[in-house]
Amino acid sequence: MSEIKRSVSLYSYQDSYYDGKLDLEGCLRETSKAGATGVELLAETMIKQFPNPIYTEEFQAQWKEWLKKYNLTPTCYDAFLENHIYDNRMLSLGEQVEMMKRDLKCASILGFSCIRTLVSTPIDVIEGSLEYAEEVGVKIGLEVHAPFSLNSTWAQGYLDRLSGSASKFKYFAFIPDMGIFCKRVPDVVEDKWRRQGAQQKFIDIVNKAYEDRVANGFTKIEYSLNLGEANMNYRNANGQAKLLEQFKELGASPADVGYLMSSYTYSWSDPQDLIDNIDRICHTHAKCYNTHEDYVETAVAIPEVVAAYKKCGYDGYLSTEYEGGECLRADMPVDDIEQVRRHQEAMRRAIEA
Amino acid sequence: MAGRQIFKPDGFKNVEKDGSVCGFEFQFKLQYYRGITLSIIRDIAVTIDGEAVPRENVLLTVNGETFSLEECRTVVSPLYRWEFGEYATVTVVREGGLAKGSHHISVLQHIAPSYMPFPIQATCEADFEI
Repeated sequence: MSEIKRSVSLYSYQDSYYDGKLDLEGCLRETSKAGATGVELLAETMIKQFPNPIYTEEFQAQWKEWLKKYNLTPTCYDAFLENHIYDNRMLSLGEQVEMMKRDLKCASILGFSCIRTLVSTPIDVIEGSLEYAEEVGVKIGLEVHAPFSLNSTWAQGYLDRLSGSASKFKYFAFIPDMGIFCKRVPDVVEDKWRRQGAQQKFIDIVNKAYEDRVANGFTKIEYSLNLGEANMNYRNANGQAKLLEQFKELGASPADVGYLMSSYTYSWSDPQDLIDNIDRICHTHAKCYNTHEDYVETAVAIPEVVAAYKKCGYDGYLSTEYEGGECLRADMPVDDIEQVRRHQEAMRRAIEA
Repeated sequence: MAGRQIFKPDGFKNVEKDGSVCGFEFQFKLQYYRGITLSIIRDIAVTIDGEAVPRENVLLTVNGETFSLEECRTVVSPLYRWEFGEYATVTVVREGGLAKGSHHISVLQHIAPSYMPFPIQATCEADFEI
């Protein structure tokens, strides 16, 4: 029997929240109804006047009551290191560490065992916060989000640097985003660009190129302090510039080019990467774009990822992060509640298979 | 099928000060997925009936407090976040406000979340009646 557990990131319900159909409690209720036992919170999205309420006994009591009522365990707190909060300067290292500590403290107060920090987080800030992370017992999880990947010079850069921090090192972990296990470009992305005028012949070229990258293996991103440049090098190493050239020659429209560029935000890694790094993984973003009525996700290889996690005995959470709404909301309603329900069911089937 | 609602449908109106119309206002939601400090707003560029409004004539009100776009640059208090899913009021200083009848507005929300390599620019458009 697998120990893999299921959670929902409340990021998934952003459209219902935006429309006023769900408030924070409503999101927790839906999470529970979808069959998850864990909840991941974006405090800056759903706690008004963040972070003030988190420090009050009133909110803390309310939060605990909700968790009990809906039988949920706090899994991950998503932090946003707003280190460019002023437009005329970057926050100093000390200020950034202070901000990271604020999030670790908030996470600890609300009962979370890890925070998600973004790929843009400077290593110095993580290193400077590890002692406090240990003090409050909350891990700092670096999100591994496309175009980044495990078993890359980028991931190794963090490991090499932070392994010097001895015992504190166990408070540094990775949070893989399952968007790095996409076998194709999500259908909702294709449909969005088609609505904007992308032509089938160009869509086919993009899809064939993606298929080839999956078959031959993606070239991984190289470690760099300049993430924008690293991303561009990664894209071109995987054939973006060459395809663009071909599109120009064939007279592609802006929408055709738009679909081509979008396709490079998705990637495929071998799920073996999870097994190789299992001791360093504290949580997982189970990214999803469109789970069909038959419980098949359009792009993410749920069965392969779950199989890899079973093989190495992962006992953490897979936290649904529904993102397909971003392809729909300009043109049509988003049924995020149904998408989360289907995705939870898809994961349940894979876990129990 | 319709996309998400950005502007508050009944939020468009002329505003008066000391008995004379000094501008107009509207309410709209942030096109992002979390609340933000006003300090990361780079611009709210308003074009009304094809005419661009000067930046200094645009005021933003959240939680009962009004700031110019220049002042927004230093607003980091939790009290004045532009909360996700909540309307902020934009006041456009313009003598005489808008004439009775139909109008078209286009507003560029330009924000810069720290982790994004490029800022987010969302163009929000609406037809409305005064």
